[in-house]
Amino acid sequence: MSGPERSLTVLVAALGGEGGGVLADWLIDAATRCDLPAQRTSIPGVSQRTGATTYYLEIHTRRRGQTAGSGPVMSLTPSPGNVDLVVASELIEAGRALQDGYVTPGLTTLISSTHRIYATAEKTPATDGRFDGSRVLAAARELAARTVLFDMSLVARDEGTIINAVLFGAIAGSGVLPLPRSACEEAIRAAGRGAEASLRGFAAGFAIAAGERVAPAAAPPPGSAAPDARIVAAFPPPTHELLSLGAVRLDDYQGPRYTDLYLARLRGVLALDRGPGFELTNEVGRQLALWMSYEDIIRVADLKTRPGRFARIRREVRAAEHEPVVIIDYLKPGIEEFAALLPRPLGRRLLAWAERRGRLDAYNVGLHLKTSGAAGFLLMRALSWLRPWRPYGWRHDEEQRLIEGWLASVRAAAATDRGHAIEIARAAEVVKGYGETRRRGLEEFRRRLTALATGPTSGLASPSGAS
Amino acid sequence: MSYMYLTNISGGPSVTPNTAPLHQDPGMERSFRQEVGKLRLGDGAVFHGEGILAVTKALLQSGVSYVGGYQGAPVSHLMDVLNDARELLDELGVHVESNASEAGAAAMLGASINYPLRGAVAFKSPVGTNVASDALSNLASAGVRGGVLIVLGEDYGEGSSIIQERSHAFAMKSQLWLLDPRPNLPKIVELVEQGFELSEASNTPVLLELRIRACHLHGSFATRANRAPAISTRQPLPAPDFDFERICLPPATYAQERHKVEVRWPAAVRFIRERGLNEVFPGDLDEIGIICQGGLYNATLRALELLGLADASGNSRVPICCLNVTYPLVPEELVDFCRDRRAVLVVEEGQPACLEDALLAILRRHDVGEVRVLGKGGGPGTAVLPLAGEYTGEVMLNGVARFLEAAAPRGIALPEIGARLRALTEPKRRAAALLGEPVPARPPGFCVGCPERPVFAAMKLAERSTGSFHVSADIGCHTFSTLPPFNIGHTVLGYGLGLASNSAVQPLSGRRSVTVMGDGGFWHNGLTTGVANAVFNRDDGVLLILKNGYSSATGTQELPSSPRHSAHKASGMSIEGALRGVGVRWIRNVDSYKVARMRRTLTAAMNSKDQGLKVIVADGECQLERQRRVRPEAAQRLAAGDRLRRVRYGVDEDTCTGDHSCISLSGCPTLTIKDNPDPLRRDPVTTVIDGCVGCGLCGENAHAAVLCPSFYRTEVIQNPRWFDRALERLRAVVRRLLP
Repeated sequence: MSGPERSLTVLVAALGGEGGGVLADWLIDAATRCDLPAQRTSIPGVSQRTGATTYYLEIHTRRRGQTAGSGPVMSLTPSPGNVDLVVASELIEAGRALQDGYVTPGLTTLISSTHRIYATAEKTPATDGRFDGSRVLAAARELAARTVLFDMSLVARDEGTIINAVLFGAIAGSGVLPLPRSACEEAIRAAGRGAEASLRGFAAGFAIAAGERVAPAAAPPPGSAAPDARIVAAFPPPTHELLSLGAVRLDDYQGPRYTDLYLARLRGVLALDRGPGFELTNEVGRQLALWMSYEDIIRVADLKTRPGRFARIRREVRAAEHEPVVIIDYLKPGIEEFAALLPRPLGRRLLAWAERRGRLDAYNVGLHLKTSGAAGFLLMRALSWLRPWRPYGWRHDEEQRLIEGWLASVRAAAATDRGHAIEIARAAEVVKGYGETRRRGLEEFRRRLTALATGPTSGLASPSGAS
Repeated sequence: MSYMYLTNISGGPSVTPNTAPLHQDPGMERSFRQEVGKLRLGDGAVFHGEGILAVTKALLQSGVSYVGGYQGAPVSHLMDVLNDARELLDELGVHVESNASEAGAAAMLGASINYPLRGAVAFKSPVGTNVASDALSNLASAGVRGGVLIVLGEDYGEGSSIIQERSHAFAMKSQLWLLDPRPNLPKIVELVEQGFELSEASNTPVLLELRIRACHLHGSFATRANRAPAISTRQPLPAPDFDFERICLPPATYAQERHKVEVRWPAAVRFIRERGLNEVFPGDLDEIGIICQGGLYNATLRALELLGLADASGNSRVPICCLNVTYPLVPEELVDFCRDRRAVLVVEEGQPACLEDALLAILRRHDVGEVRVLGKGGGPGTAVLPLAGEYTGEVMLNGVARFLEAAAPRGIALPEIGARLRALTEPKRRAAALLGEPVPARPPGFCVGCPERPVFAAMKLAERSTGSFHVSADIGCHTFSTLPPFNIGHTVLGYGLGLASNSAVQPLSGRRSVTVMGDGGFWHNGLTTGVANAVFNRDDGVLLILKNGYSSATGTQELPSSPRHSAHKASGMSIEGALRGVGVRWIRNVDSYKVARMRRTLTAAMNSKDQGLKVIVADGECQLERQRRVRPEAAQRLAAGDRLRRVRYGVDEDTCTGDHSCISLSGCPTLTIKDNPDPLRRDPVTTVIDGCVGCGLCGENAHAAVLCPSFYRTEVIQNPRWFDRALERLRAVVRRLLP
């Protein structure tokens, strides 16, 4: 701080509906209780509507009556290089404050939740369009005089409150503003409704910022599979972890014989892969396991009737022990799903007919299946029992044909240029989804392959079903 | 918000909050009881609150007889609070009315033409002033006997939702006086009261311009008791007054124009000067000076403080002339301020540079030649501030520093100022380098569970079969459809003007086009300018009216067709009735949340043989307003032990393949992504997070677009009965028994 007569400046960056306005009110109320001149303003915009919103506050450091002249003149907008405290309810909003130059070395305390609420632009790409949050953390640690960073949404959830209470606690706990804890708590109480829950969130945020309590940790990353004997015997160590995951998946999908096919296909790729890390084998192993376990009615019915699913959903909706949970699945199978299970010639003919007439999506049946109920569960489970039939259906044949064509391209490229082969292997990542999304993915896959093509692409050039 | 709520939008009783305890919750239960209490404060009490509420209180302290307005950020609050203050207003005898539009509000001020009544209206500007300008011109020409104050919410810069223009030109063209007070509550209140006096002293309506941040400025001031007006609903007017000189018809209008410039203008200039409405703050660096709009005084001072030339208490080394009245200017004041200085900076937000140009003309006319005028510039080396855009802290800092550098007055160390500026602005450059790329933008969008989102999903799906069509958009929450993920809507021309803006597109595009209009826009302007005109001209297009029951974008104010009304409003006015009344034959009312049905109806309208205007009314209550009502109800019923279902949607993480096509059809904030739990997959999977209100759009979309089998609906039975538990046990047994 440059001198004694100065207003402390606070920028609160929040998302509409998170209670940023309530937080600003609490701060003003607490300052008023301490007899400190304070002012706030905001750009609530269209606030409830999820966009970024900011609140800007100034709190004078001398009590009313002790200020020089006619009292402080406070600004309505933050200035770069002149913000004492930046409070962000979400990580990218902290990034926005950094980007705008409001986080200054030697001055700014940055208090932010580290959780992410993704922007529309990050959510809509068909692959991974997320901003790399670690950059915000790195910039925060370099530029802020001090940081208080933890997942406040988890704390809020655990304490049964919303994030503004935890933020308020963290502000008070950091000690950066001249507002004693009691004044802050009185401000919450005075605001009335729901004060108890807010005070719990406040206490938790306070304790974590003051270093009296450890912030809750995020969930661990997805697990790995134990090395599989079939793989250890035939593949080099850098591939064990990934290929074991693939093997477990395909055992579960269709049984060990199908897994054998997976491994046989991979041996053909391994023979051409010589890198120390065996990146090609790993990439093909990953894509191949996913492609070979393509989603059909049988797979979906199986996944939707596993005991683990019911437990997961109960957790997700936070049902109490005594509360029954009804689950209704939205399914809309159509000609493609039906044809997938028909014997090859029949399935092919049916699809060719539907495609000719442009009726591929014309006969989908919308089902609201109560999978939690006895009848719904039985129907769904019965579909999963069709698993042994799968290899005789049309879809199986078609997928294997596409897979073989893709593998042939990979192998052809691998003989000359391993990097190119990895790119071809990776092209399969767009083959996903259901119905029209999958058809579009397949087209995109063919486009990518054509663009990459140097080797044979037989079996891939013609549209599915009509050959 | 960490709540999940069932909404059961298609109707049905069971609505319950999550098991979490009820707590403080922003934006719930819009009641302005607290604010109304502040309006009652008497002599010597201290008001704490927002700027726009302070203005509301100041109106009552000034003895207004009537207040009107039209909702729009950032001034909606004025009317919202007054509408809840009926008791107080009845005591004082003040008439308050929510007008049909800004034109209506401005026309209401006609009461002060003949009678000594103080009156005020409030609306958003400049769009509201555009709508009001017909009545404002006539009002200004006739002149007023009673003081008239027009409160303009200057919606400019960050947080604005409209086109970027300034209101200044309205003052110039119609001879209305424009106040732009220093953003400080006591000053704003003082100017409201002086504004009425100015209006009466010069027989001219006065505009009070408040920027967004000033409207939301939370501060305090010492109050005075409210003044009951001499003429009021309790003490009515004695008799009507006729005076041809006040009618806007030649030859009276010629006399009125002369009266404006010969009598009213000089009277205003005299009043402003004598009463010291503008302020001059001295400083020791008297070779230079800054002339600023009152509204930008604090920003100017902060820039000076950061550059080491002012302190926190407002003592500046650079003299400042703060124009709390930006029209008309008082030439003598400006000449006095500029004479004997080498350079002055004009701080004036928005374009064109009305003040700067006027200052240059005044100095020239008064032969003050030695002073350089810097600001937006135009001449060599005079541009130190940007022509366009909000004057934020950063803009002011750079602008003032450039001014000092150009003026180079004796007594300051320029290198020190340069060093301060660099130190202040360096972190921004460093942050950009560390972040690598700009963080994603986060524009506002439809709320969770909004009934408008499914309509645009349906429109996107309909276009798959009808082919793409031109969509004329309108003003309202639904304008968010133009943003990702929908990107629907080709033009926006004004509130309620969607259909009118389509009137040449439709006949010239060779195919049907679609217009979107909200119920707010419909009642504001759309019924007459749009629908009646389209029927009259045999328009063959399709109009989609989004009927959510409120003026939601401005804070869920009531409309003639709102489902519920306050006691002081008439009810039972219907959009469908009005449509039939002006001769629309093809009308379909469709539940907003039924995506497949909406898609079919849209397709039918596009292909219909009917040759007239085809109107689809998308019917779905604003979810904000709905949640405000149903949450407390549900909490009460839950506490009373009622059996309730809490609904929420979900996505199966192991059947979701992560293509996100569902998100492209929804954009719901609670339909988002998370790390893929499958170690073989890399792309994030879709997930539904807390806050889902169970509107059902995900499920509807999954069906209508044949997306994927991953969506499910869950119903948690709260306060279950014995049969619920018995059934649950039976189901568990079935699940265990089957292989």
